[in-house]
Amino acid sequence: MKDNKNPISPHLQIYRWNISSLLSITHRIAGVVNLLALILMFLWLLTFSLGESNYELFLVVINSFAGKFILIGFSWSMSFHIFSGLRHLAWDMGYGFEIKTANISGVIVIISSLAMTTIFWLLGRGFI
Amino acid sequence: MNETRKWIFHRISAVMVAPLFVWVYFTLILLSTKSYQEAIYFFEHSVFRILMTALFFIGFFHAKISLNEIFEDYIHNKKIKDVANILALILSITIPVITLILLI
Repeated sequence: MKDNKNPISPHLQIYRWNISSLLSITHRIAGVVNLLALILMFLWLLTFSLGESNYELFLVVINSFAGKFILIGFSWSMSFHIFSGLRHLAWDMGYGFEIKTANISGVIVIISSLAMTTIFWLLGRGFI
Repeated sequence: MNETRKWIFHRISAVMVAPLFVWVYFTLILLSTKSYQEAIYFFEHSVFRILMTALFFIGFFHAKISLNEIFEDYIHNKKIKDVANILALILSITIPVITLILLI
């Protein structure tokens, strides 16, 4: 066979991204981020168990600019993974496979996850 | 665990862990502005302890199955894959057990 330099499929640089493939990989990445979030929850419990000074230090870290940024990112990751997971469950039950439905449900996942994160922070911080 | 059983447990654990995740994030955001003295009430409440323990056991169980799938897809060297799976198993057991000890 002639050894040509054609790209081997799937070739990510020339692959045409669509909402389903983008959400599929984001679902996986969000799952891994959620695992990191669980480890943060563990640190939260651990610092509480270690006493007041350690817990106050934890609060300083999560209330810093970087801490808030990470926590908001974690909450979005959790929201996204939940809504995207519901979409996967619907697929498992045989619903929503049509391209138009899959595209619409994908957009709904993105909007819902952003809305849920915003509501979470507004409620949690007492703005509503 | 065979693949079908793994798939079923993965879906069941996902449905169980989702509301727990929502609850714990809301609690963390709520408590992030409260002092240690104010947080004691939450941490010592039996409902908090039960839900936290459930979150860690179910959450890490769900994560372990997911990690096995990811390793299966992206790691092609069998030895590295086996080591990664063992590390995931150790992580999914030790952290929930330590959490349980911390909460008792």
